[in-house]
Amino acid sequence: MQTTTMTDAMRPPVPAEPGAGVYSNKLGMWVFLASDVMFFTALIGSYIVLRFGMGSAWARPGAVLNVPLTGLNTFLLICSSVSMVKAYAAIADGKKYFLRKVPGKTLQDGGLKFWLLVTIICGAGFVGVQVVEYIKLVGHGFTPTGYREGSLLAEHALADPVKYGAGVAGMYGSTFFTMTGFHGFHVTCGVISMLYLYFTKVLPEKYSPQDYRGIEVIGLYWHFVDLVWIILFTIVYLI
Amino acid sequence: MTTPTTHVRPNYMLIWLYLFVMTIAEVLLAFELPVSQNLKLILLLILAIWKAMLVALFFMHLKFERWRLRLIFIVPLPLAVILVTTVIMEKVF
Amino acid sequence: MTTVAHTPTEAHHAPMSFWRKYIFSTDHKIIGIQFLFVSLFFLLVGGLLAMQIRWQLGFPGKPLPGGGILPESMVSGGVILPEYYIQLVTMHGTFMVFFAIMPLLVGVYANFLIPLKIGTHDMAFPRINMWSFWLALLAGLIMLAGFFVPDGAPRAGWTMYAPLSARPDLSGATISQKLWSISIVVLGLSSVMGSVNYITTIINHRAPGMHWFRMPLSVWALFITAILAVLALPVLQGAAIMLLFDQTIGTHFFDPGAGGQPLLWQHLFWFFGHPEVYILILPAMGMVSDIIANGSRKPIFGYHSMVFAIIGIAFLGWIVWGHHMFMSGMNPTLGSTFMVSTLLIAVPSAIKVFNWMGTMWRGNLRFHVPMLNAIGFVSMFTIGGLSGIFMAATPVDIPLHDTQFIVAHLHYVLFGGSLFALFAAIPYWYPKMFGRMMSERIGKLHFFLTFIFYNMTFFPMHIIGMGGQMRRIYDPTIYDFLKPQQPLNVFISYSAFALFAVQFLFLFNFLWSLKRGKKAPQNPWEDNGMEWSLPNPAPHGNWDKTPNVYRGPYEFSAPEAGDKDYLPQYLKLPTDRDPVPAPLPAGGH
Repeated sequence: MQTTTMTDAMRPPVPAEPGAGVYSNKLGMWVFLASDVMFFTALIGSYIVLRFGMGSAWARPGAVLNVPLTGLNTFLLICSSVSMVKAYAAIADGKKYFLRKVPGKTLQDGGLKFWLLVTIICGAGFVGVQVVEYIKLVGHGFTPTGYREGSLLAEHALADPVKYGAGVAGMYGSTFFTMTGFHGFHVTCGVISMLYLYFTKVLPEKYSPQDYRGIEVIGLYWHFVDLVWIILFTIVYLI
Repeated sequence: MTTPTTHVRPNYMLIWLYLFVMTIAEVLLAFELPVSQNLKLILLLILAIWKAMLVALFFMHLKFERWRLRLIFIVPLPLAVILVTTVIMEKVF
Repeated sequence: MTTVAHTPTEAHHAPMSFWRKYIFSTDHKIIGIQFLFVSLFFLLVGGLLAMQIRWQLGFPGKPLPGGGILPESMVSGGVILPEYYIQLVTMHGTFMVFFAIMPLLVGVYANFLIPLKIGTHDMAFPRINMWSFWLALLAGLIMLAGFFVPDGAPRAGWTMYAPLSARPDLSGATISQKLWSISIVVLGLSSVMGSVNYITTIINHRAPGMHWFRMPLSVWALFITAILAVLALPVLQGAAIMLLFDQTIGTHFFDPGAGGQPLLWQHLFWFFGHPEVYILILPAMGMVSDIIANGSRKPIFGYHSMVFAIIGIAFLGWIVWGHHMFMSGMNPTLGSTFMVSTLLIAVPSAIKVFNWMGTMWRGNLRFHVPMLNAIGFVSMFTIGGLSGIFMAATPVDIPLHDTQFIVAHLHYVLFGGSLFALFAAIPYWYPKMFGRMMSERIGKLHFFLTFIFYNMTFFPMHIIGMGGQMRRIYDPTIYDFLKPQQPLNVFISYSAFALFAVQFLFLFNFLWSLKRGKKAPQNPWEDNGMEWSLPNPAPHGNWDKTPNVYRGPYEFSAPEAGDKDYLPQYLKLPTDRDPVPAPLPAGGH
């Protein structure tokens, strides 16, 4: 039982052995995502190992990082994930439009153009919030090498070394910026790809229920990026 | 000639609600609840993995795909576990 | 049943400019050939570095012939400086592993062979394929630049152990170390892109009748290798990025003074590194299987067990990485587990060796150049594997680690193994690539001389390794206990020079045959693979109409073949029925 009806456009144009049972672009994206899992394993795994080695010397959650802001950001990314899957469902149903009035309902019905735009905006919003967060953190003195001398955080760390994990701030900074930075890079690539598709394929209505492979494939990437963030948010911000 | 597919499309908004509620639960658990650190860690990890699985199964439609496709995503996971556990065992020593 | 859909052929393309056809090509065959030329260049670079290493080890303190052209930072009065020597050792390993052997086996043959051998027109994602080549070339050039920047090339060994590699103040290499990290990240990207292509193509684009267990072992091996690459390279990329950050923005992932863990680098590197060495041998094993079956005029002995052995090697390869770290001070219990898994992995490899021998047994042997090199592969790989068993046992590894014994082992499996397999594969598929044959006579001379000088070079390394000569040292003669072995070092160096010189025979043969080689008949080796149904060289788009596959790949000496001793996969006998493909688009193209 498959989610995507194997339409004619999605079959290979030449005779072939039955393979994975899904079209090649989707298979290729899944394989790529498996490789991306390993990439984040290296980064996140290193964080886990390094932190485990520090034990309780690590800063307490919420001391340095802005959890409420990031919680909101997490919510934003989850919303973008929902809008992405709504976009996918929309084009699967043939809704190429932006918004359309539905008789009998107050809310208008969103089509592909609407939902994908929502995704792009939420995704860009996530990146924006993260950039703002980075600027604030660096301003307070949180850098990849630890608490900058003379900064606000350095003062806090002197006053309360346990809460701020004074001895291992360098590790904290290194792992934090590397993991969230590369995740942010993945999100940015996703937003750029969606923008590209939006202008070259979505607005000219090149996708149809017979062929919406690009939407499904970018959707898989986007959900993966959301999934990684779900893990990251928990183990970086909350623990 | 297309393969007939009949499946119930998951209720995406419901999943969204679950994710929202679980996120709130996580933040509360992390900061408000007076629970021991280790228990907190385990519960938070369970919540995080559960959320991740919701996204994978329903948004990425893995629940409705064949095993062959699910296998592609599943295969790296034990490798990740092996790497991290081994290196941690190293540190313990 | 609907008629077979018409497929893109040369006629459907607008005539392409030289640039689109040969330089920025998306044709998998051209990309494979591009990889071939670039990798052979890097193989030469690696060889030149090796010659300088052997000069220094054989004749420490003597001026390098021609050393005058090198700058003062590398040679002083013509004598190789220690700072330069360690660069040589590091970059020899780096170029050979990442830019010679890996691209030669995977970049060339995965690209060239996979679509041909499974009966399809090109890779699943041709443009990504093109990108994969150009990124690999870029990575190679970035790495090469390391020699030409201030402070010279990286010098922490090809394994780049931190914190030496993370601290320019300790290693002395400033810019080039960062270039190393960048090059590795770019190469990783190239590798992952390529592997995604290979995996998708093999799963989804096999011609009708090409069932999984009708695929030649070369394709199976390349498939499993691609899975290894897609999962292992990203870990190295992550590690290289962390190293780059340690070097540039001042993080301390691997610096123990600031809370980092040097062993973290080792674990990450070898978690990649061990699957990497299987990436470097599995395609070789696959291609050798094809060639030995052909040269023996017999089906490969134990085809299914060969497939499962490849899968077994790949599977076990993920849990043996600690055997590179027995001497790192790691947890001894972990050491024992790694010892057990490493000993286990010898089993599938041994199964393969016995099956190659079983294939040849009572075969109607044809000792053409590819067959000779393939047999050379089996014998040399066996020796390399045997030395591997020694080192798998932790107590034995303790005195042997970081000695020339390890160097002997790795060269037996990489040169005696992978490179001999390449000396077999290159002439074997040369007709398909270039439409001509390489010279048999030069090929045979090259094989025999290489085989002799190769063993003269690398076998004694086992001996001097057991005698205690360490790896990567600049001058063995400063140690009293190594002085008695120095004559062996001299012997090895002379043999190495001869070995290198003989390779020019191969190079000459390769280049000369491009224009002057005998024009190749369509199926010069009387082989069964799908690729031999095409003219030489294979045309753009491969087949006009997707071919059908009627049988397995090793039907040599089959009774149905009549008076021929081979029965190609694509040949339809009167008793064959057409395979039923997966449902096609209604209405065709």
